[in-house]
Amino acid sequence: MNQPNEDEIGKLLRLKRYEQPPPGYLDSFLHEFHRRQRDELLKQPLWRICLQRAQDFMFRLNVPALTSYPAAATALLICAAIISMKIYQGPAQQNVAVQNQTPVVSTMIQDPAWSLSAPVATRDLGPQPLRHTNYSSHTHRAATPPRYVLDSTPVSYEAAFRF
Amino acid sequence: MNPAIALPSPRPFADFLSSARPSHAKAKPDAMEQPRPDEDKELVSRTQSGDVRAFDELVVKYTPRLYGLVYNMTSNHEDTNDLLQDVFAKAYKSISGFRGKSSFYTWIHSIAVNMTLNFLKKRGRRFHLSLDDMDASIKNDKEFLELTASSSPVREADLSELQRRLNEAMMKLSDEHRAVVTMFHIQGMPHAEISKILRVSEGTVRSRLFYANRQLQNYLEEFRKNPVS
Repeated sequence: MNQPNEDEIGKLLRLKRYEQPPPGYLDSFLHEFHRRQRDELLKQPLWRICLQRAQDFMFRLNVPALTSYPAAATALLICAAIISMKIYQGPAQQNVAVQNQTPVVSTMIQDPAWSLSAPVATRDLGPQPLRHTNYSSHTHRAATPPRYVLDSTPVSYEAAFRF
Repeated sequence: MNPAIALPSPRPFADFLSSARPSHAKAKPDAMEQPRPDEDKELVSRTQSGDVRAFDELVVKYTPRLYGLVYNMTSNHEDTNDLLQDVFAKAYKSISGFRGKSSFYTWIHSIAVNMTLNFLKKRGRRFHLSLDDMDASIKNDKEFLELTASSSPVREADLSELQRRLNEAMMKLSDEHRAVVTMFHIQGMPHAEISKILRVSEGTVRSRLFYANRQLQNYLEEFRKNPVS
């Protein structure tokens, strides 16, 4: 018996074309493809999605073709300007923090009971205690120096002892 | 397919083949039709400019053909489905870099073959045949209708036996040889197209095909001698 020749092998193998996927498979393939694409998209971190979109955007604009030396230099200058602006914004934030402390100090000075302009003799301390128990919580003692102004006032400055 | 080809009575191999469909007749002419490059170019261009539906059209267009390619290399429906999904996903990701140096047809086939070969290397020899049924369109075939008029369950079993034998013979080939046989004999691609897809010379394609045919002749000779095992 002779072995089948190449042409006969080809004819036999062509019968395999009749092997087809289950009915409806090709119709549902696209839906399955969309579903897998969505699932894969959800698994990706946000930064990667943004990066991919940026890449697509750049590609659509055909940036590589437009890129030239002046354009690259301009882009570099813009980046440098943005970075330098960011760096110099640092001290300004510290000023804001100092200003925030100012009202605390001003409220202390504006208190008439503790003003140096009023003489000690006429100072009416009133029935209220010298220090409120809850007053210290408003003054942020940890942040401000201790208030020994009254006790450290020189005697010669007090009007009541003047003759 | 002609069910009489697998009758238990001994028949010459030439008769066995002559009872099959003629070589010029295509079982699935739509699936094996060469796609129009201009149409593909437009769809690719639209996809690159962000039109997702254009890529869907490409998926619908190439799924039957690529399914046949991957299925005949893996002989497993589930593996084929997963691989095909991955092939289109990879194609969609890389289509922005497709510059049209080759046709989209060659490009997508190249992705499919390379991914399948990588998969087969990982899978190794541990696999099981998960074969698709014969296409229902075979029932519209004139010869098939004539012969199944007097069909018996034995003949139907022999039809599936033939399918199993063919697939087993294919799986005995190396992955590279199977790829060439699939593209040439089953998909009807010319040598030049196969060489572009595999990125090897036409001589290499012909050499692989010659070696694979000789191996298949040996494997199928056993089937010819003993059609029912």
